[in-house]
Amino acid sequence: MLKLDNISKKLGNFNLAEVTMEIRKGEYYVLLGRSGSGKTQLLELIAGLNDPDSGKIWLDNEDITTKKIQERNIGLVFQDYAIFPNLTVFGNIAYSLHCRNTDKEVIKNEVTRIAKELNICHLLNRFTNNLSGGELQRVALARTLITSPRLLLLDEPLASIDASLKDDIKRTFRQLNRKGLTIVHVTHDYSEAVSLATRIGVIHNGRIVQEGLPDDVFGKPVNRFVARYAGIRNFFRVKFRNEGRSWKAECNGNLVLNLSEGKYPEEGLIIIRSNAISIFKADPSNEAGNCFRGVVKELSPSEQGMELLVEAGEMFYVDVPMNDFKKLQITEASDVWISFPAEACTALPGGG
Amino acid sequence: MSRNTPFTWILLILSSLVLLFILAPLAGMFLHTGGSELLETVNDQEVRASIWLTIWVAFAATFFFAIGAIPLAWLLARKKFPMKNIVQGIIDLPVVLPHTAAGIAVLGFISRDGLLGKVANSVGLTLINNPAGIALAMAFVSIPFLINSARDGFTAVPERLEKAALSLGASRTRVFFTISLPLAWRSIMTGFVMMFARGMSEFGAVVIVAYHPMVAPVLIYERFSSFGLKYARPASVLFIIVALAVFILLRLIAVRKKETHIVPDAEA
Repeated sequence: MLKLDNISKKLGNFNLAEVTMEIRKGEYYVLLGRSGSGKTQLLELIAGLNDPDSGKIWLDNEDITTKKIQERNIGLVFQDYAIFPNLTVFGNIAYSLHCRNTDKEVIKNEVTRIAKELNICHLLNRFTNNLSGGELQRVALARTLITSPRLLLLDEPLASIDASLKDDIKRTFRQLNRKGLTIVHVTHDYSEAVSLATRIGVIHNGRIVQEGLPDDVFGKPVNRFVARYAGIRNFFRVKFRNEGRSWKAECNGNLVLNLSEGKYPEEGLIIIRSNAISIFKADPSNEAGNCFRGVVKELSPSEQGMELLVEAGEMFYVDVPMNDFKKLQITEASDVWISFPAEACTALPGGG
Repeated sequence: MSRNTPFTWILLILSSLVLLFILAPLAGMFLHTGGSELLETVNDQEVRASIWLTIWVAFAATFFFAIGAIPLAWLLARKKFPMKNIVQGIIDLPVVLPHTAAGIAVLGFISRDGLLGKVANSVGLTLINNPAGIALAMAFVSIPFLINSARDGFTAVPERLEKAALSLGASRTRVFFTISLPLAWRSIMTGFVMMFARGMSEFGAVVIVAYHPMVAPVLIYERFSSFGLKYARPASVLFIIVALAVFILLRLIAVRKKETHIVPDAEA
């Protein structure tokens, strides 16, 4: 469907570097990255708003690298919607049809049809100044969908929308995708990516650093940046050593972690999910895994219950369900034991 | 400012003095002009003709030069090109020139030996002492007001709106006429009114290019130098009233356009 082949673009001090990716027909591809990572620039290159310095862009096996923006038939919904403030909602949605000199009656029918689909019929005669974020988003979507694009590009489409409306808009995106529309969605929000994507690409400093199914990307992050996106907060730089049949990871001489079987380099980075660590008031004697005594330094509420910062040779973030937290009666400065299986320690290739 | 501090009082006094400086001479002129004198001036064919000439020539100059000035303003707002700063400096040049010097420059350009003068002569038109020459002199000194205001208007139109229009299949021309121009309209109209008002009030450049037919500022000067302050005053008052009325009318037309809220690119 869409293929980017070694795309590079210099924009001031920022470089998109040798971006190669392929998006298959019908996919919901989410490009995840921080602001300033090059996501929007990449979308603008695909849409044709900018030309790449080198590389090729293919759409349905056609080289569109130098094709005029008006002839690409790629829909782009801007982050702030870019609704024309001098036109009514009807005028905005009908804009592309006016460009094609479509018959007035056809324009009216088409605009009404798409407005019905997106539940914005009641807004058609209004100017856009006082519309809510969710309404503007639907207008922007209708204005783009009326062109029947081959590919829909969404630039941070949920960034300016109230949390209560996000689910509605997400549902709309999913429905569009189910109907066969290929979507490339750019965001900095991990949960947005996980809830929508059929495939994810993580972009960092103008490069795609990891690509794959959501479970693969966040289950096996290739570096610290991707791991952070997956909500992992325990990172330890370690030296690996083999002791007979088992592997150990030594962390700054303070701590030795037991690892599962496998192949490890001399040095690297170990990550441990904070919800993979259990907490106890007494020694649980987990000899096969990892068990350390520590002191609670900080408590802060988290999505799952309570996040504890425990000093146990190194600083560990531990997510504790609220029920367990209440049962254990943990407070700041409590003496605790943390325990996690060897399998919870994941070594990052290349050390992150 | 809920409480008036000494600093606020100083600001208020200084501001009042400046306003008084602007209003006092005008008020004095109005107060010294009797109703009968004003009525007599209204009935003066020469005065009426000169005011009408001033208005339509200033309007025509603004209108015709806007056709080139607005695209130039868009280029300055949107495009990067070599020596852009120099081009901007050239545009501002008429503002800093002494207006009589500007008149001399225009005269050289439109006289029979000048470039434009020769072209006009070839079609049987003499630009000196002609409304067309007056229009050129007015435009020369006032066009920076339109270009700069329109440029600021185009700069304030977020580029992403133009990009959105392009991605919806619009040609560059359509984007200009349906998005850029309507959204910059208020600034363009402000510039239009400023250029028109500046052209209408021009004396220095116009008097060198055309003493006759007399535009209102030249007529006022002629009445003053020939007959004195008493005879120049009613013509001045009448011209000010008419100019103010036209100015207010044009501003009203400019403001009547629907307010549109534009979110600048930086906030987006």
